[in-house]
Amino acid sequence: MASSSDATASNGSTPETPENAESGSAADTSDRRGRVRLRRAAVMALPATAIAAGLMILTAQGALGVQFAISGMPFTVTATELNGTGFEQFGGLDNMAEGSPNAGDTGGQVLVVTSAIKSATLTKLCQSVDLGGTNLLITAGSGADKVQASHLTTDSTELSGDASFDNIEIGNDAGTLDKAGVQGPKGVFSQQADTVRIANLRQTNYATTAAVFKLPGLKLRFSDTGC
Amino acid sequence: MSSARNPRSGFRQWRAHRPFWGGLLLTLAGAEILLTEKASLKVVMHIGMQGLAGYLLPTLMLLCGLLILFNPTQRLFYSLLGILLSLGTWLTSNLGGFLIGLLLGAIGSCLTFGWLPDQEPRRRLLRGRREQQRTATEAQGLS
Repeated sequence: MASSSDATASNGSTPETPENAESGSAADTSDRRGRVRLRRAAVMALPATAIAAGLMILTAQGALGVQFAISGMPFTVTATELNGTGFEQFGGLDNMAEGSPNAGDTGGQVLVVTSAIKSATLTKLCQSVDLGGTNLLITAGSGADKVQASHLTTDSTELSGDASFDNIEIGNDAGTLDKAGVQGPKGVFSQQADTVRIANLRQTNYATTAAVFKLPGLKLRFSDTGC
Repeated sequence: MSSARNPRSGFRQWRAHRPFWGGLLLTLAGAEILLTEKASLKVVMHIGMQGLAGYLLPTLMLLCGLLILFNPTQRLFYSLLGILLSLGTWLTSNLGGFLIGLLLGAIGSCLTFGWLPDQEPRRRLLRGRREQQRTATEAQGLS
C-alpha cells in the first residue's frame, strides 16, 4: 500500500543489503523491523485490564446495564418468573439479511411473535445461544438481586409459561398500541396489558433488540446443553 | 531488494513496518462482534439510536484496525480509540461479542500501542559502534 504512509520512510533506501547477505539464512529476520516493546504495551494493557475488570464487576453487581442485539441465530431465554409493566404482543415477519446462511428453506422469513415489555424483572434468567456443537450460556439473577430489563423487545417463535395479565385488551390493531411504546404494523391482531406475570417462562427468540439488561450475578460460560 | 523477486518476502517486508498483529486482531474483533449481532438494518432503524450504538462501536473498531494496517503512522491515536471502543462494546454489543471480541480488541490495541518501528534485531546489539550511532540518529529523526 501507499509506501509514503509507512512508518519507516527511510526503509526503501536501507543500505544493509550486503550485510544481510553476510548473515546468511537469517536474511529475512535480520532486517530492521518494527517490534512490540512489552513495557510500552503494558502502559496501555494495565489500565485497560483494570477498566475491563471494573466493568465486569459492576455488571455482575447489577449496577451497569448491558445491551443485547442478536438476530438470525435462534437463542433461548428462560426464567422462573417474569414480572413486567407495560406489555404488548403482536405478530410479524422477521426478514433475515439477504443470503443469510441461517435462512434455510424459510426464504429468509421467520414468522414471529413480537413481545415488548417496558420494564421487566426476571428471576433466574438463563440465556443460551447455540453456536453449533456448543452452547454459550449466560445466567444471572439467581441470588437476591433480580435481573432488570428495560424496553425489552423480543421476536420469538416459541413462547411458553403460565401467564397472568392485568387490564388486558385483546384484539387491538397493532398500530394503535401504547403501553410499551412500540407499534406494530397496521391491521395486525395484537394485545396489550398494564402488567404481566409469567411463571416458568421459556422463549425461543430470533431477535432481541435494544434491550438493556442489568445482570446481577452474571456468569458467562460454554456448556454442552442449553437452557 | 528481495521484495521485488518474491511476493512472500515482500509481504514480510510490508508486515515488518506496521503493527500487523495489533491491527489484524482489532479488525477481527470488530468483525466478530458484528457477526454476533448481524441484524438487518431495518430492525435497527426501528429501535433508534440506542440500538445503533451496538453497531457503531464494532464498525469503528473494524475501521480502526484497518487504518492501523494501512496508515501506521497514526497508530497511537487509532490504538487509543480502539481500546476505548473495545471496552465500550461490553456495554453496548452483546457483552463485547460474548467476551471474545472484547479480548481480541484489547490485545490488538495494546500490541499496536506498544509497537515501535525500526527496532534493532536483538543479535545486532553486539555489532559495531558505527551502526548504533546511525540507529540513534534515525530514531531521533523519527521521534
